[in-house]
Amino acid sequence: MQLTPDDSILFTLLGLPVNATIFNTWIIMAVLAGVAALITRNLRPDVPPNRWRTALEVTVNGIVSQIAEITGRHDPRVLYFSGTLFLFIVTANLLTAVPGFDTPTASLSTTVALALSVVIAVPMFGIGSRGIMGYLRTYIEPSIIMLPFNIISEFSRGISLAIRLYGNIMSGAVIAAILLGVAPFFFPVVMNMLGLLTGVIQAYIFAILATVYISSATAVPSASDTSETTKETP
Amino acid sequence: MSIDWITIGAQIVNFLVLIWLLKKFLYRPILDGIDAREAEISERMGEAAAVRTSAEVKEAEYKAQIAELSASRAEMLENARRKAEDERDALLAETRARLEKEQAEREARRGEEARAFTEDLHQNGAQALLDLTRKALADLADETLEQRIALHAAGQLKNMADNLRDAAGDRHDATVLTRDPLPTDVQDRLRDELAAILPDFTLRFDTDPGLSPGLNLRLGGAQVGWTTDSYLSGLDAVLEDRVGRPIRKGLTDAA
Repeated sequence: MQLTPDDSILFTLLGLPVNATIFNTWIIMAVLAGVAALITRNLRPDVPPNRWRTALEVTVNGIVSQIAEITGRHDPRVLYFSGTLFLFIVTANLLTAVPGFDTPTASLSTTVALALSVVIAVPMFGIGSRGIMGYLRTYIEPSIIMLPFNIISEFSRGISLAIRLYGNIMSGAVIAAILLGVAPFFFPVVMNMLGLLTGVIQAYIFAILATVYISSATAVPSASDTSETTKETP
Repeated sequence: MSIDWITIGAQIVNFLVLIWLLKKFLYRPILDGIDAREAEISERMGEAAAVRTSAEVKEAEYKAQIAELSASRAEMLENARRKAEDERDALLAETRARLEKEQAEREARRGEEARAFTEDLHQNGAQALLDLTRKALADLADETLEQRIALHAAGQLKNMADNLRDAAGDRHDATVLTRDPLPTDVQDRLRDELAAILPDFTLRFDTDPGLSPGLNLRLGGAQVGWTTDSYLSGLDAVLEDRVGRPIRKGLTDAA
């Protein structure tokens, strides 16, 4: 049984092997960008919005409001980053329902890549907001003794993000595949439905956590604010 | 469970490309569209508020005008009634003046016509009277009016001798003026009668077409006349007394 789509090499491009993970990621990118471009191509103020445009507006506004609730402000860069994370992961997770489609989020390489993106983006947002010294000072707060723990915390965030998403999606796909072999009727459908719900929830958790990390890195702490604003989920 | 670092790198690049794609095709168009629609809605609401404010101002103005019109309605009606009465009085006065003027003109024209008619009647009447007198004398007495007057005057001279002598003073010539030349026998009769009372006087006969039928005797500064003028003057009184009234009534009836 193949546990990751990384092992499925489809073709070679410029001497580099293109596996199912990368190819399916391109498909998801094409779907997202194509749908967005198709719906927003005739977007003008004097044209009444149709149901597709309204759906997109509801989705984008929902993401914006969630980010605003967490960060307390409207930052388009956070929207681009966290919104794209959510849309990519939720689309990839929902496509697990398509027979034969190996979702990229079931690949540890993909989840590691996304987690690395978060680990890299958080200090970039923090430096952009506080300056490099201001951001580095957060590692020795409230005491310099906390420096190693803060560094470990920074990397453990990424690891937990990657493992959590990979484990949930991969396990769901594996369980569905096992049940399909054991009981081909009814149970795979239930598990697929459960997998879709789990996929949406995991996408939400991944994006929310990334936003929380960015928010904690960019927030300017007040004198009375010495508590850690980040939160971890199991 | 394995990690392919090439796939990790490719997925990071893919993710960055996806961020760019969604920024270009999703986030910016949607957010810009929402902002534009909000701006348009705000603008329309502003315009609606402005229109509403303008309408309320207009409504207040019209209500004020209606109240003002209601308040001044009685005054306007009174002014209009007074103006109509003034115009009516002016028209009546103008019409009355025009009628009086026309009546005065008719009166003047009627008086002129009456005067001309009376004068014409007098002249025609006098001429008719003289013509009838002449015809009666010629038919009944075989005489002319002038001869009869001259003979009558010759017969009166004796009775007037003292008065004529006093009137003549130191003058010794006399002139008989008639409209037409007198016959020779009449002239001789007059000359004889005058020579009988005033022997040293010379008598001369002369004519004047402007004279009335009859005879005028001039002695120095005095003049004695036997003409029809006094009788014809009496004709005026007779015409005014007897003919004038019917004539005036006829003119009034004609007007």
